[in-house]
Amino acid sequence: MLKMDLKRMGVAVCVAVIPLLLVSGCKKEQPVTAPPPPPPVTTAPPTETVPPPPPVTPASDMTEAPRPKDLSELQDEFERQGLIGDVFFDFDKYELRADARDRLAKNAEFFNSEEGRKYTYTIEGHCDERGTNEYNIALGQRRASSALDYLTSLGVDRERFKTISYGEERPVCTESTEACWQRNRRAHFVLSGRVN
Amino acid sequence: MRHAILIPALLSILAAALTLSAQESGEDVEIILRDLNQRPQLRLAFPAASYHPGLNGVYLEAARELEETLRADLDLSGVFLVQGPAELAVLQLTGKRAHDFEQFRSLGNQVVLYAELKQESSRIVLEGRVYDLASGQSVLGKRYRGEVDQARQIAHRFADEVVAQFTGRPGIAQTLIAFHSDRDGFQEVYIMDYDGRNQRRVTGHRSTSGFPEWSPSGDVVAYVTYFTASPTIFFADMKTGRKTEVYGQGSLNLSPSFSPDGTMIAFAHADGTNTDIYVCPRICTQPQRLTRARGIDTNPAWSPQGDRIAFTSDRSGQPQIYVMDRDGSNVRRISFEGDFNDGATWRYDGAYLAYASRRGNKFQIVVTDVISLASATLTHGPDSYEEPSYSPDGRRLVLTRKRGRDSQIVVMNADGSGMVQLTHEGRNFAPDWSSWPR
Repeated sequence: MLKMDLKRMGVAVCVAVIPLLLVSGCKKEQPVTAPPPPPPVTTAPPTETVPPPPPVTPASDMTEAPRPKDLSELQDEFERQGLIGDVFFDFDKYELRADARDRLAKNAEFFNSEEGRKYTYTIEGHCDERGTNEYNIALGQRRASSALDYLTSLGVDRERFKTISYGEERPVCTESTEACWQRNRRAHFVLSGRVN
Repeated sequence: MRHAILIPALLSILAAALTLSAQESGEDVEIILRDLNQRPQLRLAFPAASYHPGLNGVYLEAARELEETLRADLDLSGVFLVQGPAELAVLQLTGKRAHDFEQFRSLGNQVVLYAELKQESSRIVLEGRVYDLASGQSVLGKRYRGEVDQARQIAHRFADEVVAQFTGRPGIAQTLIAFHSDRDGFQEVYIMDYDGRNQRRVTGHRSTSGFPEWSPSGDVVAYVTYFTASPTIFFADMKTGRKTEVYGQGSLNLSPSFSPDGTMIAFAHADGTNTDIYVCPRICTQPQRLTRARGIDTNPAWSPQGDRIAFTSDRSGQPQIYVMDRDGSNVRRISFEGDFNDGATWRYDGAYLAYASRRGNKFQIVVTDVISLASATLTHGPDSYEEPSYSPDGRRLVLTRKRGRDSQIVVMNADGSGMVQLTHEGRNFAPDWSSWPR
């Protein structure tokens, strides 16, 4: 009885397996020890030819114009004489501290002087590395603007100034110390051109 | 979709609707992480690929790279628990389908994937087949042909097809990540494949250029560059490499973000003192101002549905994340913890925002349900994690990991698990994950 059942089962398995074999088209027995072959190909799907990726060509991009050398030298000279200097900010802040107002008053004196009136200026806003890069660019903009607004209140001619923020992208120092961070939280004054 | 074995599992996970408080409670975190963790795991057997006897030299090498890439892609997709040759070695495989299928099933597998690799004249060919092990039916059959240097690309294509078959949406193996790096001396824009391969430079302005953002169709990458007189938004055409100025007026233009139809950008712009959010068509002459608060409003992120824009504002005294309608109305605050929050990125369905939130002096990535405001912190530890960007399927996040002066691009699963570093050269920032290729 048991034997019969097994036989019947065997038939049933064969019946179930044979159509699969026919559909798949695999007729040959494989030795059990051979590595398993892939499933048989019934119909090959249509071939997709993969297109090559587009080239990326950075070669001919426009680049930054260097600042005239004589202006850099003049700037160094004015800074050495203490005629212009950076103003510094508190962490995450763009409000002017008392020391910043004092410094700006001195800068204003120079900007309004006969020599100072010969030039145009860019006020750069900078940040330390502790905020996010993207927000710090907006923060640096406010620092530069705060400085310009105060200079304007001291009678400096706004037309000779523009502002720019570098956020934390162009630090003067790169140590992770409070001293270094303070040096980077600043508005910096740059001679950018001559008044015609 | 016929064989969407996975869909019920995904739906049940997504159906865990959130009605939670604004605080980050343990219960919220658990529910959010479950919702984010769409790693459901269809069990897939992927026995050793079959290599045609004619494959030799560079073709054999390419075929091996293709198989290796395909395995990595299926694994990274987060959709499958893959059993490879090592796990399948215990089975007695005969090459007879019904028998072998039963064998694969005995290890709990639900589907099997066969890859056959051959050479056709000077090209490499992949024939990939997927079978449902329960029914024995063929689910997917694909044949790809390409040059030997396209082995990875072919694998990515097939992997995305396999994922699409089971989730109804393609995988992300063909997506790209844009970022900026100082590795070549100047800060320039770069792109790489989603797995960190093929890192290549896009810009050569030799200035400070960065903060890239893909257009939805991938035709351009918008970015900010300083080589002109003030920070200016440019487009890099990804086919021709041509760079076009989009907007450079005023003192600051920053953080471009495309509308989902690709016709508009939102960006931060400062005329004089104040930075606000503006929107503009691609040909941008007169940006329309959306925010008017006294403080800084910056870093907009257009929602995938197009109806809302997330941004950062310090109107409360510290940078926090806000959402407004696309016309600037209906402003509501999203982040309430941390004294400095920035860099919001939307999940594809507009349900979640991930962003960087300062805790102590480091940033961690936090995700917030924009309706219930329930939040979960995804990263932990001594490093600082910033600038997150969701993959288009919402399963992964790419971000910047800062460790002292070092800064690298890393990816992780949407629940914060499985972090992998993608960049190793120079300092790297501001990753942006592309949409699906079109």
